Amino acid sequence: MNVLSCSMNTLRGLYDISGVEVGQHFYWQIGGFQVHAQVLITSWVVIAILLGSAFIAVRNPQTVPTATQNFFEYVLEFIRDVSKTQIGEEYGPWVPFIGTLFLFIFVSNWSGALLPWKIIELPHGELAAPTNDINTTVALALLTSIAYFYAGLSKKGLGYFSKYIQPTPILLPINILEDFTKPLSLSFRLFGNILADELVVVVLVSLVPLVVPIPVMFLGLFTSGIQALIFATLAAAYIGESMEGHH
Amino acid sequence: MASMIVASSNAKPLSPLPITSQSPKPRIQIPQIKIPQKLLKLSSSALKSLSAVAVTSLAFSPPSLAAEIEKAALFDFNLTLPIIMVEFLVLMFALDKIYYSPLGNFMDERDNAIKEKLNSVKDTSEEVKQLEEQAAAVMRAARAEISAALTKMKKETQLEVEQKLAVGRKKIEAELQEALANLERQKEDTIKSLDSQIAALSEEIVRKVLPVQ
Repeated sequence: MNVLSCSMNTLRGLYDISGVEVGQHFYWQIGGFQVHAQVLITSWVVIAILLGSAFIAVRNPQTVPTATQNFFEYVLEFIRDVSKTQIGEEYGPWVPFIGTLFLFIFVSNWSGALLPWKIIELPHGELAAPTNDINTTVALALLTSIAYFYAGLSKKGLGYFSKYIQPTPILLPINILEDFTKPLSLSFRLFGNILADELVVVVLVSLVPLVVPIPVMFLGLFTSGIQALIFATLAAAYIGESMEGHH
Repeated sequence: MASMIVASSNAKPLSPLPITSQSPKPRIQIPQIKIPQKLLKLSSSALKSLSAVAVTSLAFSPPSLAAEIEKAALFDFNLTLPIIMVEFLVLMFALDKIYYSPLGNFMDERDNAIKEKLNSVKDTSEEVKQLEEQAAAVMRAARAEISAALTKMKKETQLEVEQKLAVGRKKIEAELQEALANLERQKEDTIKSLDSQIAALSEEIVRKVLPVQ
C-alpha cells in the first residue's frame, strides 16, 4: 500500500514537474467555432517578426548593401535558387509562395526553440511553435495542393488531368492516390518532427535540467531548419512537376 | 499520446510486484515444505488485496490526471486551420509587396547596371587604345618639330658665326693693311729724311775727308 501510494505520488510529482503538455489547447470561441488561441498568438508573433524585419531591412535599399540588407538579399537569392532548381525557368511567380512557406515554417520552428514562450502563462495549454499544431501544417499542405493544382491547370488547362493516365492508364488509382498522400506526408512530416523535437527537449529538461539537453536543442534547431527547407523544396517540386510538359 | 505515456508509466510499477515475488516461488516449494502454503495463502490474499488497491487507485487516480488525459487532443481540427490559411496568404502578399518584389527588382536592376558598366568598360578599352595612338602621334610630331627647330637654329647660329667671323676677318685685314700702309709711309718718310741726312752727311764727310782747300 505504502509503496503503491508512494509510486503514485512520485509519478504525479514527476508529471507535474515535467509539465509535458501534449495536445492541450487554449480555446477561444469565435462565432460558435473553437480555435486554438496559442497557435494564433504565436503565428501572429511570427508574422510580425517576418514583416517587421523585412520592412526594416528593405525599406531603403542601397546599391552597396548594408549588413541586414545583405542578409535579406542572401535569403532571397536562396529562395530563388530553390524555386529555380525545382520549378525551372518559369519560377518567377512562385517565389512569393515558396519563400513565404520557407520563411514562415523556419521562423515558426526556431521561435518554438528560441523564444521564451513559457514566460507568458496561459490559462490552459502553453505557447509553442505554430508548426507544432496539426492545423497549421495541414493548412500549409492544403495550400500547397491548391497551388500545384492551380499551377498545372493554368499552364495546361484541362489537359493537366491527362497526367493521371500518363505512363499507362493502369496507374490511374496510384496517380489519384498521390494527390492525397502528398499533403498528408507534407503535413505529418512537419508536425511530427516539430512536436517530437519539442517533446524530447521538454522531457530531457525535466530529467536533467542542465547541460545535457543542449546538444538536443541544437539538434532541434538543425532539424527545424531542415524541415522548413524540405517543406519548401517539396512544395516547389510538386508545383514544378505539375507544370512540366510531358509530350 | 499523453494518455499512452501516462498509462504505460502507471502500469509498470504495479505489475512487477505481484508476479516476480510470488508466482515463481510456490511451484518449487510446494512439494517440499508445507508451512509456506499458509504463507502462500496469505500472500495470495495479499495479492488480491494489492490488485484491488491497484485497480481502485487507478480508477480513482488523481482527477487532474484524468481530466488532462481526456482533453489531450493532438488531431483536433477546427477553425484554426482556415484562419492559418488566410494568415499565410496575407503574409504571402504582404511579404511580396515589401520584400520579394522590391528587393528582387532592385537586385535585378543592379545586376543589369553592373553588366552594362562592364560592357562599357570593355568598349573604353578600344577608346584607350585610340587615345594612346593619338598620344604617340602627338609625341612623334613634337619630336619632329623639335628636331627641325634644332637644325634650323644650328644653321642660323652657324651663319651668324660665319658672318661675324667674316666681318672680324675683314676688319682685321683692313687694320692690317692700314698698319702696313702706315709702316710703308713711315719707311718712306724715314728714307726721305735719311736721304736728306745722307746728303748732309756726305757733304760733311767730303769736307772732312777732303781737306778744304
